[in-house]
Amino acid sequence: MMNKAWKIIQWEVMRNLRNKQFIIGLLITPLIILLFAGVPTLLQILDKPVIHKYLVADEIGILDSLIENIPVDNLILEGFGNEEEDIEAEVDARGYTGYLLLDSDFQSSGMIEIHYSERNLIGERILQSLLTGYLQQQRMQESGVDADQLDYLTASVELRMTPLEEAVVPETKEIIVSAVFLGLIFYLIFASGSMLMQSSLQEKRDRMAEIMLSSVRASQLMSGKIIGQFLLGMIQLVFWIVISVPALIYFLDFPIIQALAETNLLIIGLFGLFGYLLFSSMFVSMGATMEDLQSAGNSQGMVMIIPLISVLFLTPVITNPNGIISRFASIFPITSPFIMVLRNALTRVPTWEIALSIVLLVLSALFIIRLTGKIFRTGMLMYGKTATIGEIFRWLNYREE
Amino acid sequence: MYGLEVNSVCKSFGTKRVVDKVSFRAAGGEILGFLGPNGAGKTTTIRMIMGIIAADKGEIEYFTDKGKQNGIPSESIGYLPEERGLYKEARVMKVLQFLAGLKNVPRSVARERALKWLDKFDLADYANAKVEELSKGMLQKVQFIASVLHRPKIIILDEPFSGLDPVSQDLFKAELRKLAGEGVALLLSSHQMNILEELCDKIFLIHQGKEVFNGTLEEIKEKYGNYRVNLTLNRPDEVEPLLTRSVVREYQKINDTRYLLSLNDGVFPGEFLSNIDRNMPLRELSISRCSLHDIFVRIALGGVDDE
Repeated sequence: MMNKAWKIIQWEVMRNLRNKQFIIGLLITPLIILLFAGVPTLLQILDKPVIHKYLVADEIGILDSLIENIPVDNLILEGFGNEEEDIEAEVDARGYTGYLLLDSDFQSSGMIEIHYSERNLIGERILQSLLTGYLQQQRMQESGVDADQLDYLTASVELRMTPLEEAVVPETKEIIVSAVFLGLIFYLIFASGSMLMQSSLQEKRDRMAEIMLSSVRASQLMSGKIIGQFLLGMIQLVFWIVISVPALIYFLDFPIIQALAETNLLIIGLFGLFGYLLFSSMFVSMGATMEDLQSAGNSQGMVMIIPLISVLFLTPVITNPNGIISRFASIFPITSPFIMVLRNALTRVPTWEIALSIVLLVLSALFIIRLTGKIFRTGMLMYGKTATIGEIFRWLNYREE
Repeated sequence: MYGLEVNSVCKSFGTKRVVDKVSFRAAGGEILGFLGPNGAGKTTTIRMIMGIIAADKGEIEYFTDKGKQNGIPSESIGYLPEERGLYKEARVMKVLQFLAGLKNVPRSVARERALKWLDKFDLADYANAKVEELSKGMLQKVQFIASVLHRPKIIILDEPFSGLDPVSQDLFKAELRKLAGEGVALLLSSHQMNILEELCDKIFLIHQGKEVFNGTLEEIKEKYGNYRVNLTLNRPDEVEPLLTRSVVREYQKINDTRYLLSLNDGVFPGEFLSNIDRNMPLRELSISRCSLHDIFVRIALGGVDDE
């Protein structure tokens, strides 16, 4: 029984490993990811921030202290000393962003007029905050508050974070690792899922289904395909991880090994594996109901988006990982493979919830595999048309071998 | 003795009964012709034999070199389905080894046997070619090889001759006879009646899911095969009285001088001849048994009652 499934696994894996498309995908995908990750950074480097220069006619002698406190590099204030020359002409002639006058009226009115040739919202906010600081200081001194008192009055609160119990607050490292694994599980399910659908389709297109089913049982063929594609997916992931981890360690200051050790990989592995089995059995059997990709009806399309239901729960889970919606989504078998992994990284999930969730997931996977096995068996032997939903439901009532 | 026995097998899809109490036996050393019109239940019956679908009722027994088998001895059965192909992008030898592997034939043994068969079919140069590079006839030969590579004791072939040129057909026929000679039980489903007539020892005829006939070629001809008369006359109008005689079931006017007559069941040539007037201006006359083709057409069109 296992022997034949194993031969199909081998065939499925070797057939794809020799396939040019698979090899190209294996090599090109990291390059594409690199391109997408690298290009924005490159653009950012190339796209230097525009420098905004303002001319300041400073009658009250605060320009130097203002310049000292500017928190960014691209805002420059220059003093305008020559009173004879028209300040506006100077702004025009030398391409300043604008000019402002700091005179004694400012201290009483609290108003500064900025004459601009172009708006610069960030620079304006910075100027406003710098001048506000100065104004407050001046007015406090006027009111007789000395420097020490001033510091005392304007001091900001310092928050010191102390967790009650060490494990209650998940480490950022753990969240990052879990998020990465979540992405990988998603990838595995979708990439392998579409490969599985195609594999069933190809078996039908090449008219191999009947020959195969005369030598092996439908369940062996289906499980061989599912496990074969799983291995192919893992080969891809391991290949990419092996080439990317050293690069990440080199370029990023992130303790990957330590983070992996601190993450609950067993839970991620279990949910990933059974999630894969649940969805892949749906995909492989849907492939068996189709004649070709073009004629895939809505029903088949719908199956492809079932795993995406989890995406709806991402925001509620991130914002409130212990809320009722999060708890439901982390136990409900369709969403639990993704949501439990995420939630477990964000908060401490009670053990009984994890246990309940995994038991439900395993039972659902077994149930779905049984159900889709019937669809697969019947679908594989049907030629010439894509099955309707009604037909698929009827197949579920057929007696098994 | 190798072979298989199908006993009162039934199969329904939903409320439609597609196979109804079908029983027959394919014995070792014999070629059983399995025929019936499209939709008669042939493929369903074959799929039940192959264990691809389950029978609702009845049982199928298999006899291999290990005696009577419980369950389907898939390693001892060779199958060439009507809907057949091979993985397009795979190489011929790899596919053959994989399929033989599923029947538990070691790779090296499969390779050795495959090379012999490929050589026999003039395909030795294509062992490492991709399947998609083969012509339809070549593909058919490779598929046939795949169905016999594991040296099965029972072989089921569904339309094995479709798409083959006459030379290849003869090659296939010779191989099938050879296999039968080695004691293998062959079940051959085809619409090419002339080939079945040439090859088969026995015939099983199925129509609308039910057995119509099960016996030797001679018996089926005895039972359904009335006589056909080919008649050419000088003066066609003089044939009229003959056509209305009770010995003639129906006739066809081929052209102004030629008629094709079909005699009634149970009417033998002698009786027909005694109905011909001595002065009839006959130029040519030939009387022959109906071919399997004619019997098939007659049954398919409902010309006989289903039993």
